[in-house]
Amino acid sequence: MDTLLLARLQFATTTSIHFLFVVVTLGLVTLLVGLQTTWVLTDKPVYERLTRFWGQLYVINYVLGIATGVVMEFQFGLNWSGLSRYVGNVFGAPLAIETLVAFFLESTFLGMWIFGWHRLRRGVHLALLWGVALTAYASAFWIMVANSWLQNPVGHEVHDGVAHLTDFTALLTNPSLGMALGHVASAALLVGGMLMAAVSAWHLIRRTPDLALFRTSLRIGLITAALSITLVQGFGFAQFGPVGAVQPTKFGGGPAAEELIADWTARFGPGDYTPPVLASVGLGFMILIGLGLGLLWLLLPLLWRDWIIRLRFPLWLLLLALPLPFVAVILGWIAREVGRQPWVAYGLLPTEQAVSGVGPGVMLASLIGFSLLLGTLAVTNWVLLAKHAARGAYDPALGRRPTQPPADPRPEPAFA
Amino acid sequence: MELAWYALLGLFFASYLVLGGYDYGVGLLLARGADPTRRRALLNAVGPFFLGNEVWLVAAVGILFGAFPVLEGELLSGFYPAVVGALFGVITVTAGVQLRSRPAGPRARTGWDRVVVAGSVLAALGWGALLGGLLQGVPLHADGHVAGVTHLLTPFAAAAGLAVVALVAVHGATFLTLRLPATEAEGVGRLARRLVPVALAAVGAATALGLLSDRVRATAQQPVAAVLLPVVLVAALLVARAALIRRRPGLAFAATGAALALPVALVGAALWPYALVSTVDAGSSLTVADAAASGPTLRLLGWLTVPLLPALLGFQAMCWWVFRGRTDGRAPVYW
Ligand code: HDD
Ligand code: HEM
Ligand code: HEM
Repeated sequence: MDTLLLARLQFATTTSIHFLFVVVTLGLVTLLVGLQTTWVLTDKPVYERLTRFWGQLYVINYVLGIATGVVMEFQFGLNWSGLSRYVGNVFGAPLAIETLVAFFLESTFLGMWIFGWHRLRRGVHLALLWGVALTAYASAFWIMVANSWLQNPVGHEVHDGVAHLTDFTALLTNPSLGMALGHVASAALLVGGMLMAAVSAWHLIRRTPDLALFRTSLRIGLITAALSITLVQGFGFAQFGPVGAVQPTKFGGGPAAEELIADWTARFGPGDYTPPVLASVGLGFMILIGLGLGLLWLLLPLLWRDWIIRLRFPLWLLLLALPLPFVAVILGWIAREVGRQPWVAYGLLPTEQAVSGVGPGVMLASLIGFSLLLGTLAVTNWVLLAKHAARGAYDPALGRRPTQPPADPRPEPAFA
Repeated sequence: MELAWYALLGLFFASYLVLGGYDYGVGLLLARGADPTRRRALLNAVGPFFLGNEVWLVAAVGILFGAFPVLEGELLSGFYPAVVGALFGVITVTAGVQLRSRPAGPRARTGWDRVVVAGSVLAALGWGALLGGLLQGVPLHADGHVAGVTHLLTPFAAAAGLAVVALVAVHGATFLTLRLPATEAEGVGRLARRLVPVALAAVGAATALGLLSDRVRATAQQPVAAVLLPVVLVAALLVARAALIRRRPGLAFAATGAALALPVALVGAALWPYALVSTVDAGSSLTVADAAASGPTLRLLGWLTVPLLPALLGFQAMCWWVFRGRTDGRAPVYW
């Protein structure tokens, strides 16, 4: 096994795990902002309970997003030191901006939000959640700027084999950025909506207490999901134009691709410059899932007089469809990232030049170690999420009054 | 320009060690409490600050990548085992603190607390070994790459790792003296006082091994700073002990904080003007100026960071202010 392959496998595994948490974070935080804002404006207790319940699930998910994200960030230096050496002047800037503009504030705000219930004024507490949401989107924006630059390196000049920044605005107006960002953001909203709808559906199927509450969140989740699947489809198809134009080799051959490959062969020597087929297989399946989820619109009329709940089977459909968007996001990323091979920065830096000089043994140990660690934490976390989702909105730990002992039917003995 | 960015990088990493340091210190002290309520009280003392502390590391690495891309690649891949170890620690603490509070059973909770203890040790050990490793130089070759990872395995790097573990433990106990309700502060205060000599011994051992090591002596470019700063570190620990005895936990916390920030200053000052000193070929040592990103990138980041920095510090300060004082049961229990 060579170091390159191991490094790529490690990147693919860890980013995929990271993204499974990140989509939920981005989707849920948007819905939470809506819920808490409604609570503050209307003062209806049901929205407070909804905020606490969904907020608890959000926070459980968020922490793993951080843990996996930290691995991502370090991995560039650990495994891809060539990336920082040759293109770090350009690629590093959006990443540095992301950490300072987005993550720094996001985590600070979230810590205050979690512990600020009953302590901060309501308006301040709400403003903190808005801050968390805005910075989460800012982080998605900047990471997509960085990723789009790897897809289509713009705004730079190469001296002595090292890329230097010449035009930062070109990074922000990168043709491979706009539609991709819209696609990612709407995919996240779709995931958030479907998660909310599916968990609510489970409670409505089991007829647990709190039917009224879960009826509300079912409606919110389903409407959000239906609106966002349309956005997902729109932005998705809209990507083919700009991405195909800047990356002719991505979606199969053609005269433009052949011309580019001839040019690369002249400049970088002979080699295989077509991406593996894996990329386009994933793309096909994702589009299938995307078109299939368009059927969510058929469920909307059933919201009338709660037919969706009375018929029951639509609830099952929602529950069973929950894995689909998660599969789609991974496939989408594989299409995007594998589709730019054999380049780390398209047409600029071959993947094999970017990998660090560590030996295969060290790399293999790190691949196994991180996959096991993150895999275990991820699975444990999902089990916990499922348990907390199933327990219901009876008495989440988040936002419980400090003076109030847990009123949980299955008490937690160690709770202080 | 490069110096300013280098200082900012040092500031962020040192702040991470000071703030994240008490998280790990408190994590370590979970090993002592058999009583679940007590363990929970310890975590609750860290509670609102926990997420905001660790993010200093994320920001430090962001600055490293943006402003010192060449250093980033060689530093992280050149110290692979130390960085990966620290990273494992950081991740297990981050996830463990959250996961331990969610399951219902006390058994599972105790198990997760052990994971947090192990993670805290690993994180402190890893960062300490990285700092020690920087002081003993790296096999940086003429092609600009660090070769191999075995260069890290020396008694000095191990001692530096252990010294940071000891510093973190003192710092965590001092933090708790400041934060826990007055009735419980007495006990941790005594513990913190007893830990100071342990930290002094660990720092002393690391310093002695460093002075004895040819590699470290050859690597230090500024011997005055390399000798002076450990002395200041020892003085900080002595101040902490005196303050703990006089029941001035605020002062003691400032002193143990300084003790955790000083190793970063030591590395930065002792190696200056280099960022990485080569053990194999003096000509290929990497200077701070060469490690920095090119002018346009630094200017862009500068335009952004200068107005942003007050906001970043302001919101962190807001967090400390809102949740200042001893834990009094007025904030919800979450971790
Ligand atoms: C809920 C998830 C989801 C769903 C249902 C879809 N996508 Fe998607 N897709 C993503 C989630 C996603 C993603 C994970 O968010 C990606 C990866 C990178 C990106 O920009 O978005 C992506 C990438 C991606 C790409 C690759 C862009 C590139 O290579 O640079 C294309 C062409 C499409 N999508 C198109 C579609 C179409 C036509 C869809 C169906 C109607 C569709 N996607 C459904
Ligand atoms: C979170 C969503 C993402 C997923 C699931 C993902 C997935 C992948 C996959 C599957 C590969 C392996 C490709 C191959 O080996 O053929 C890869 C490689 C890579 N990706 Fe991503 N990616 C994501 C986001 C990003 C972002 C935002 C960036 C940049 C900021 C990025 C930078 C890279 C780099 C540098 C590599 C290694 C070089 C390579 O093998 O192409 N990725 N990613
Ligand atoms: C491969 C490149 C990536 C790197 C290096 C990376 C890095 C990180 C880091 C360091 C964190 C933790 C921040 C904290 O401590 O608060 C994080 C969290 C986050 N990332 Fe990523 N990330 C990558 C891919 C992505 C992608 C593709 C997206 C979205 C489009 C994304 C969105 C987020 C969000 C919203 C968070 C905060 C919420 C959470 O923790 O779940 N990241 N990421």
